[in-house]
Amino acid sequence: MENILELQEISKAFPKSNFTLDKLSFSLPYGAILGFVGENGAGKTTTIGCILNTVRKDSGVVKLFGKEMQDDDTDIWEKIGVVYDGDNFPGFWTAKQLSEVMSGIYTQWDNALFQKYLEDFHLSSKQKIKDYSRGMTMKLVIAVALSHHPQLLILDEATSGLDPIMRDEMLNIFLEFVQEESHSILLSSHITSDLEKVADYITFIHNGKLIMTVSNNDLSNYAVMRCKESQFLALDPSDIIAYRKRDFQIDVLVSNGKEAQRKYKNSVVDHVSVDEIMLLLVKGERV
Amino acid sequence: MKGLLKNNFLAICSNVKAFSAFMLMLGIFVVAVISPSLLIGYVLLSIVGFSVIAVTSIKKEFVSKWGKYKLTLPIKRANIVKSYFISQLIWLIVGTIFAGASISLSWLLHGCPFDNSIDTLSVFALGISVSLLTGAFFFPLFYLGGEEKGEVSLVISLLCGIGITLGIISTLNLYLTPGITTILLGAALLIICSLLMFALSYPLTVSIYKKKEY
Repeated sequence: MENILELQEISKAFPKSNFTLDKLSFSLPYGAILGFVGENGAGKTTTIGCILNTVRKDSGVVKLFGKEMQDDDTDIWEKIGVVYDGDNFPGFWTAKQLSEVMSGIYTQWDNALFQKYLEDFHLSSKQKIKDYSRGMTMKLVIAVALSHHPQLLILDEATSGLDPIMRDEMLNIFLEFVQEESHSILLSSHITSDLEKVADYITFIHNGKLIMTVSNNDLSNYAVMRCKESQFLALDPSDIIAYRKRDFQIDVLVSNGKEAQRKYKNSVVDHVSVDEIMLLLVKGERV
Repeated sequence: MKGLLKNNFLAICSNVKAFSAFMLMLGIFVVAVISPSLLIGYVLLSIVGFSVIAVTSIKKEFVSKWGKYKLTLPIKRANIVKSYFISQLIWLIVGTIFAGASISLSWLLHGCPFDNSIDTLSVFALGISVSLLTGAFFFPLFYLGGEEKGEVSLVISLLCGIGITLGIISTLNLYLTPGITTILLGAALLIICSLLMFALSYPLTVSIYKKKEY
């Protein structure tokens, strides 16, 4: 499968904060959405910074569209749309002024498409951005990110702080975007329920280290076993991905719930959410 | 580049409007009152004022994430820096036009405002030099010190601009004998020196900016 984005052993150290992004590797195929999950401070934004060259990586290779990107590769930047959390644009601008600036920057800027998005999103082109609500601001950023016909969207916590209805609208836009096989999305978020809905793959990161990348299909097989101490000791270690001791039970993450249910007849096997997987991987012990 | 220049313009648009209105009113007053020292002050304020407003546009980039977002657009970092230098030159010209219009009007209504007409050139050279040097210092200092030290970078740059301009004038006065040729030569040297420093500041700013992380 061809990848639109590939990270090979990306490392970046911040000695002052004692944080290190440690040899991070993952890839995003064409036509897919990759959810990038991790707790606050796990290294998601740093990773995106390394991809977008806003942060200088210490080592490793980032390939976009099969090519290692440099600052001067403006043709590659034309194919990428970026959405950061919060205020992406100066608040004293209007959407109309923003479009004027963007049309002077992107060779493929499509003002008609941008106007269509403004209409669809009920955004006034004459209102100052600072007077927009948070939801409106995020819609505007997404409109900008889509209006130059990008192939890759990179979204850093784009849905955080939005209400569920707004988030659902956003997710529909993302799903529509990846209908084209040449389009992909890297969606960083700590709202894991969003990722469960739209992501084809989910990459878990913790303390600057990659924990695992798993496809959404495989993820649906994942389950959590609620074990007593004696049941836990009887488990085959190769079945355990991670476990977490609670007061009266041990939660065990397994990659195949049905198989676990067959193999360990008396155990309780529950469906597991991405949230719980993350908790088990981060707070629990990995085997 | 067109988009970047538009961005820089929008960043200072409201400030420029307010400053232009103020300078227009002040200009009317300065033209009406026959005072060479007031006219000199107006020329310097106009040329330096517009330039200072222009350089402050860079600070507004970092009020939002726009400064970071810009790096994800299909533009080179060198071009971002270049746009600031070009913008400053444009506003320097606008300031010079404002100053030139007032001097011309005053001259037209009251005759030559100075003892010697060539002094007009010196005043303009002084203003242009301070403006260029302020920009030459401010841009690298801003990227070096970061946006949170923007104000102090501007004050230091302005002081450096004034100090170096006065330094050049004092040095020229030491070696050149007074006269029209000296004034012409002094003005030319002042502008050449400041232009040279402005030009040298560009690659320095680019090299600093290229190392910055956001």
